[in-house]
Amino acid sequence: MAVGKKIENKVKKLFRGSLAIRQIDAGSDNACEQELVALSNSFYDIERFGIHFVASPRHADMLLVTGPVTRNMAEAVKRAYEATPEPKIVVAVGDDAIDGGIFKDSYTVLGGVDSVLPVNYQIPGNPPTPKKILFSLLNILENLDKKPVILK
Amino acid sequence: MLEIITAPISFFILLSLFFFGAVGSLLLRKDDDSANIWGSFFAITGSLWGLLFSVATIISEHIAAFVVKGSPFPLLSLSFNIDLLSAFFIFIISLIALFCSLYAIGYVRHYYQKYNIGALGFFYNFFILGMLLVVTASNGIFFLIGWEIMSVASFFAVIYDRDDQENVKAGFLYLVMTYIGTAFIVAAFLLLYKFTGSFDFAIIKSGVGLLPVGVKNIIFLAALIGFGVKAGIIPLHIWLPAAHPAAPSHISALMSGVMIKTGIFMMIRLFLDILQPIPIWWGIVVLTIGMISSLLGVLYALTEHDIKRLLAYHSIENIGIILLGLGSALIFSSLSMPVLALLSLVAALFHTLNHAIFKSLLFLGAGSVINQMHTRNMEEYGGLIKYMPQTAFFFLIGSMAISALPPFNGFFSEWLTFQSLFQGIAILDSSMRWLFILTVGALAFTGGLALACFVKAFGSIFLARPRSVEAAHAKESPSSMLFGMGALATLSFLFGIFSSQVTFLLEKVGRSFTIFQNMPVTFLAENNQGLMVKNGFASVSGLAFLVFFAGVIMVVIFIIRRVVNRRQKTKIGATWDCGTDLTSRMEITSTGFARSIVLIFKGILKPSIQHEIEYHDSESRYLPKQRTVILGVSDVYKTYFYQPLHTLVHILSLRTKKIQSGNINTYIFYIFITLLVVLFATL
Repeated sequence: MAVGKKIENKVKKLFRGSLAIRQIDAGSDNACEQELVALSNSFYDIERFGIHFVASPRHADMLLVTGPVTRNMAEAVKRAYEATPEPKIVVAVGDDAIDGGIFKDSYTVLGGVDSVLPVNYQIPGNPPTPKKILFSLLNILENLDKKPVILK
Repeated sequence: MLEIITAPISFFILLSLFFFGAVGSLLLRKDDDSANIWGSFFAITGSLWGLLFSVATIISEHIAAFVVKGSPFPLLSLSFNIDLLSAFFIFIISLIALFCSLYAIGYVRHYYQKYNIGALGFFYNFFILGMLLVVTASNGIFFLIGWEIMSVASFFAVIYDRDDQENVKAGFLYLVMTYIGTAFIVAAFLLLYKFTGSFDFAIIKSGVGLLPVGVKNIIFLAALIGFGVKAGIIPLHIWLPAAHPAAPSHISALMSGVMIKTGIFMMIRLFLDILQPIPIWWGIVVLTIGMISSLLGVLYALTEHDIKRLLAYHSIENIGIILLGLGSALIFSSLSMPVLALLSLVAALFHTLNHAIFKSLLFLGAGSVINQMHTRNMEEYGGLIKYMPQTAFFFLIGSMAISALPPFNGFFSEWLTFQSLFQGIAILDSSMRWLFILTVGALAFTGGLALACFVKAFGSIFLARPRSVEAAHAKESPSSMLFGMGALATLSFLFGIFSSQVTFLLEKVGRSFTIFQNMPVTFLAENNQGLMVKNGFASVSGLAFLVFFAGVIMVVIFIIRRVVNRRQKTKIGATWDCGTDLTSRMEITSTGFARSIVLIFKGILKPSIQHEIEYHDSESRYLPKQRTVILGVSDVYKTYFYQPLHTLVHILSLRTKKIQSGNINTYIFYIFITLLVVLFATL
């Protein structure tokens, strides 16, 4: 898989071989979660590229936020973002996370992830397939490679 | 100049200062403030005078023995003998009393309008006066008078906070135990009188050869029990963890720091000076008791969550460590190795001094905390370092000193004790060597457990978040209390750094003993850099430690700042709590911390656990309303020693009661029988 090899190279270069991702459910319908879980199964197995999902935002380089931000989860999303050390990349995964998707304008949601956090990248799809997510991750990493990391 | 200070009249000025302080504060009892100021002022002046007097005596090596004429009773002579050992104990008493009195000015205020402040000042001053008499009296009966002044004054201090029934109970336990001790002391003195014909210590000492061996051994045992009760050796310690917490904190500090040392003082005086030469088993007994007391003392301290009881158990532990030094001194002296005996004695004296300093510091710190929290239960503290930073700092220094961490004083005296034990291992033969190896192991183990205990104490008092409303509203103590603690903390540091100079003076004190006189070689090398045991056996330097630690800390800070964090900025945020808000109930409690150690030693400590569950519904057992878990340590001494003893005494009393029927005719019959017996006996 050519994409995987490229991702691995980028992860090696940018993150010294280890990209830690924390996934945050901001009120998702679990469609995106199914696809993200699929990334870890034996078919895709993204751990071999050096990407792994971590249990705490304290360990994360990247936040993958799924689902529209519901009122109940807004505070949790903000706290998880605060807890992630700099430099951090916020990626909104799925149409719901980008602008609210089919839940847009519901009284229970605040809208997309950008309504509570500064979002750096978006991965569209309802839900995006694992392959699509991998391609998008590669895109993001290539994009990151082009610009210098500025420490806040 | 020195002659004037060390003159007998100067000593009477010292005594009268405390006497005026006591009487004056009682006369001023109507006004709380002036009674407090008066009592504290005279105690402070007296302590300063005492410091001057004792230091001058030690430096000039002036031994003052004098008698006050006009005693109403023939056997009681008001004779004093202030040798260097007495001067050393006067020094300890004055030093600790000075800072406790300073502390008292601020501390006593929370008793205003509640109890009689004048009475407190009265008992406080008399307590110190009693201790001064104990360490200077040279006549058995006069000594006992001082001993009783000290005991009774401290008894009234223990029951001072009398609204709490627990305190009154603790006071009576203390009184009963004290009198059991006094009974044994009286027995020892009477035996000495029977064979030497005098209560005067000097005459007893010159006539000690008249004692038969068996009687001498009985005197040893009686004195060991009598003074051991006061010193708090296990199993005679039961009054100590009850009485020390009950007293006001500045008096607990004096009791724990100084008063229990008067027992040690008399043991040194009797066993190493008056009753010399001694059989070797005395030393073995003292060493074994020291070993048991130090180990069990620290184990019981680990199970405590009452801060002052914890400190009281640590006093037992440290008395054990002092007894290790004293016990090895006794063994060496009976094997006629005076050089090593002197080394052990110096270790014991140095630890006596150091323990007085850091234990009173810890008690004063505990007093400040209790003053704010109104409870002694450590589980209800937490996070106090934010509200009482200075108290926390001083308490930390005290904890480090008592855990024998360099560069504080506790380390150096424990090091010296270790050295004397190592010398024993190196020189003695088979069975004694094993005893010393065992003792070294016990001492090392004690040190480790003490450290664990103070990690627990400091952690649960000062770290994490407040576990009660009071803890969140705690305020720093007034400046007089902070000054008392700060000065003791500084002393704890200085006595560590200048340990070689201090031990040099202590060696001088030790050399004033008859058995150590005319001894040319010394085991402690004189040098100004640090402590060194002769022949390059071992050496340690307080100053080197300080430089080393300061260096290491600076290097670590440099590495973190300049190498590890050179390209990073520090950002301070909230602790990651996984989305659940952190509460104080998530903290590790002191019971939880000590639990694993308690379980390891469950064979000794006999921990007990009690579960109680209350259900919402008596039929369905699925919804518990309330669960209680009560953890405790069973009191083995009460069940296996004091309770059977009590039962025995009770049964004997019942038997005796049968004779005493209350019927006058029977009594007349008894008199008649006695008369007949006496008549026949004389025929």
